[in-house]
Amino acid sequence: MRRVGIGLLVALVLGAALIAATARTSATAGTSGAKADNITIWVGWSAAELKAFKGVVAEYDSKHPEVTVKVVGGINDDKITAAIRSGKVPDVVSSFTSANVGQYCNSGAWLDLKPFLSKDKIDVNMFPKTSQYYTQYKGKRCALPLLADVYGFYYNKKMFKAAGLTSPPKTMSQLSSYAKKLTKKNSDGSIKVAGYNPFLGFYAGNAPDLSAYAPLFAAKYVDGSGKSVLSKDPAWSKMLKWQKSLVDWYGYKKLQKFNAGAADEFSASHAFEIGKLAMMIDGEWRVAFIGREHPSLDYGTAPAPVDDAHPELYGAGYVNGTIIGIPKGVKHKDQAWALVKYLTTDSHALAIFSNGVRNVPTTKASLTSSDIKPDARFKTFLKIFTNSNSKTTPITAAGNAYGSLIQAFTVKWQAGHAGDLAKGLQKLDKQIDAQLKQAQAGGVP
Amino acid sequence: MASSAAATVQPLDRTRARRKAAWRRRRLVLLLMSPWLVGFSVFFGYPLVMSVYLSFTHYDLLSSPKWIGTANYRYLFTQDPQVGEAVKNTLWIIAVMVPLQVVFAFGVASMLVRARTGAGFFRTIFYLPALAPPVAATLAFVYILNPATGPVNILLKHLGIDGPLWFQSPGWSKPSLVMLGVWGVGNIMIIFLAAILDVPRHLYESAELDGAGPLQRLRWVTLPTISPVILFSVVIGVIAGLQYFTQAYVAANVASGQASQAGDQTVNNLGYPEASTLFYPVLLYQHGFRYFNMGYASAMSVLLLVVAFTITVLIIRNSRRWVHYAGAAK
Amino acid sequence: MGSLRRGGQVSTASVPVAAALTRRKPPASVRRRRFLLAVANHSLLIVAGIAFLAPFVFIALTALMTNGQALSEHLWPNPFRWQNFVDVFHQAPILRWALNTMIYACLATLGVLVSSVPVAYALSRIRWRGRNVAFGLVLIALMLPPVVSVVPLYVMWAKLGLVGGLGPLIIPNWFGDAFSIFLLRQFFMTIPEEYLDAARVDGCGELRILATVVLRLAKPAIAAVALFSFLYTFNDFFLPLLYTRENPSSWVLQIGLSEFRSLHQVQWNLTMAATLLVMAPVIIVFFLAQRVFVEGVTLTGVKG
Repeated sequence: MRRVGIGLLVALVLGAALIAATARTSATAGTSGAKADNITIWVGWSAAELKAFKGVVAEYDSKHPEVTVKVVGGINDDKITAAIRSGKVPDVVSSFTSANVGQYCNSGAWLDLKPFLSKDKIDVNMFPKTSQYYTQYKGKRCALPLLADVYGFYYNKKMFKAAGLTSPPKTMSQLSSYAKKLTKKNSDGSIKVAGYNPFLGFYAGNAPDLSAYAPLFAAKYVDGSGKSVLSKDPAWSKMLKWQKSLVDWYGYKKLQKFNAGAADEFSASHAFEIGKLAMMIDGEWRVAFIGREHPSLDYGTAPAPVDDAHPELYGAGYVNGTIIGIPKGVKHKDQAWALVKYLTTDSHALAIFSNGVRNVPTTKASLTSSDIKPDARFKTFLKIFTNSNSKTTPITAAGNAYGSLIQAFTVKWQAGHAGDLAKGLQKLDKQIDAQLKQAQAGGVP
Repeated sequence: MASSAAATVQPLDRTRARRKAAWRRRRLVLLLMSPWLVGFSVFFGYPLVMSVYLSFTHYDLLSSPKWIGTANYRYLFTQDPQVGEAVKNTLWIIAVMVPLQVVFAFGVASMLVRARTGAGFFRTIFYLPALAPPVAATLAFVYILNPATGPVNILLKHLGIDGPLWFQSPGWSKPSLVMLGVWGVGNIMIIFLAAILDVPRHLYESAELDGAGPLQRLRWVTLPTISPVILFSVVIGVIAGLQYFTQAYVAANVASGQASQAGDQTVNNLGYPEASTLFYPVLLYQHGFRYFNMGYASAMSVLLLVVAFTITVLIIRNSRRWVHYAGAAK
Repeated sequence: MGSLRRGGQVSTASVPVAAALTRRKPPASVRRRRFLLAVANHSLLIVAGIAFLAPFVFIALTALMTNGQALSEHLWPNPFRWQNFVDVFHQAPILRWALNTMIYACLATLGVLVSSVPVAYALSRIRWRGRNVAFGLVLIALMLPPVVSVVPLYVMWAKLGLVGGLGPLIIPNWFGDAFSIFLLRQFFMTIPEEYLDAARVDGCGELRILATVVLRLAKPAIAAVALFSFLYTFNDFFLPLLYTRENPSSWVLQIGLSEFRSLHQVQWNLTMAATLLVMAPVIIVFFLAQRVFVEGVTLTGVKG
């Protein structure tokens, strides 16, 4: 009996020790007093891109010997919100999903940065308008932009030459006809090379919430009062009809098979990079990936083609970005702010980091900084970023939950299961409004 | 006088001793039951009560719960565009997978009983898939049923058949999950095997003497005798169906092919494709742990509890008509 | 489980020799029909067996292919790339996941045994008021879908600051597990009272009886409970998903495997290799402890 008792005790002690050891590796700042030496920053980058970021932080560290910054990569929004909810927060957080800034600001999860900005006399107009938009919600600014993502057009120059095409398409109808010309089929009818893959859900440029296409058709998600207008703005029907016509030309099932056989988007066997895809809409980071993985690929970049009825939109694109802020519950606010300020406003830091990950730097000054390594293909994206028609998706208190509802509709639409388009969009509008109301704890309309 | 005095002392002693023994027994029981008593209140009772409370609030864990009355339930029953699909999918999987699993397990067990050679070998083969962790099994099936490069469609192509899109098709995704479920019936099959072998042989012999053919023996001897086991499998299957999550989650995630470069949260794959694998627990997870709409998720869980309880009671009550207990066991 | 031919032996082995000699052989037509039925039965078994084994074979074959081949229409690896099984460990922290899984499974199983055995004993071998009510509550807890209680429990663990580690997974197992209590109680009820009475007469206290007599007699049931607990926690995906998804250093094998596709570049051949590795321990344990497995499963179904 005693043997059992002791054994039990040992097991319990061991167990407790093991549980403690595997508990969340605490990301809290050092527990020493006000002049803390260690602060932690969470970012979403990993692998090579994380290395580039660490390089920028190392420069900061050398300039500020009183602070040591610990960098943790591979973070996503779930981790951030979980940390805030459990009270164990890092000092600085950054997220790829700018659409969530509404949630963060509205709930107070990220601190209001206005007092810091006014104390250091920083004018937010140093950031481009779009970046200003996706870092605040209803006037409450709880984040700053840290490098932006811009979506543009990639095309395989070798395939273009072989098909007798000289320049990238500028309108959607041109895109369709080029796509049909560039597509090659196998003997059994399956797709060998796709000219352009219109399938929503295939790779990032085909986001099923239609975010990449919205600026190209000047389509608005919401009206002035925040109500969803997908059924009222005719641009959406036009966009969806165009998209479906191209899907039907390829054949829905054939496209599915092509997608199933395509390699992962962030692998070195990316369909465009290995020549299985002739044209695509993708983010500016792809330039760096291709440079690393397939430097000999003969390709070009350009702004994405636009709606035939709005040729003046050419040059615009979808923009979103990484946002950075200070979570609630941080002890060392001043050190955290100092790091945030450096990362977001210092032109040199932004330029160096931009070189490393080939994302777009987010201050007007850094865009023209001499530190940026010149790259003709990357320059396209800098231009798209500053285009006045480039837009981002609306910021709501429910984050991008409306994107999920849109996605549910568009995937059905492209499969031909959605019935009447107008009616479907009307229903979708109602759902989005109801969901937003529910998320704001306003009950049901 | 002395004897009566002695006589009155003894009963008192005995009652006191008995009471002391009873008290000691109660203390012992308390000691033995204490872990479960704590566990039951903390991990069963408390969540139940708390779920009901939270279902009337709006709570995102970042600020304290805000009372909103029945708004969550109103949204749940009339407004949530995904709940209808989720409920239909869960009911579908219960209605299709449970009978298929039970019938298949029974069929295989019957064949094993009749096999003269290599029964042990076959038994192992049929049991092995049940041991595969659900995540691993789902991953394996998603790969095998890949419409373009999976072995199944390649084999079908050699036979001249254009294979369906399996996990990529809203019409085939649930049947694919059912195939995965039937692949793993090993546990139920073993139970059926033991139960069939337990059927007293004299019942078969007397049935044969009465002129019963094999089908009639099945209907009137085998099935009634193993009916408790059938009931057990059905109840287990239904409860599992009501909580069906892991396979659906993994299949949707993997089949949608979206690489989640740690950080990219712009795509919600739950239910891929076209909400065909969106089961009720998956939707609950989405609302509670992706959107952190915990009050609403609590309302969903209260509804699930009510439905689960009702269905279980209905099955058990209905079972009295066809389940035949041999007098022993229960 | 013994031989599968229990039923058949009654009519052949135990019949006296004399009777066997006088038993006529069944007519040829009956014998032929029986033979054909056996062949049909066996063919069905073989076909079903092949269908059941096929997935394992496909996984194994893919695990040995190069990435290019895995994405192509080839079914047979050429050449055999055993290197994949090593590459898997380079691609992802498999050992870390395995360690986390072992911690979770072992501590949880230990907890289940330590907390469930006394409860099962109290519910089966000691008479007390409210015993039936308590057992009824155990049954009700058995029927409860765990999904129903996740939200408040998550809130509780978040407030305690334990989200992100294995604590919320392990700790509840130290407070009794309804299924194990049920199984053990059913088994304890089959222990003849005489054994316990003999020990009581010898002057053993109840606890001593539990620790020595009962534990020894119930070894098969306890082994089954331990095995099931281990298996269940090894395969568990939902709870680790809830509590450790944002903390990769706490990932268990199942979570790691589901995220394997997205950790670096997706390679189906490595993913299948990883899948095999995750399946392997359970299958090995099965072959080593076959009897315990099957007896345990039978215990649940037949006595349940």
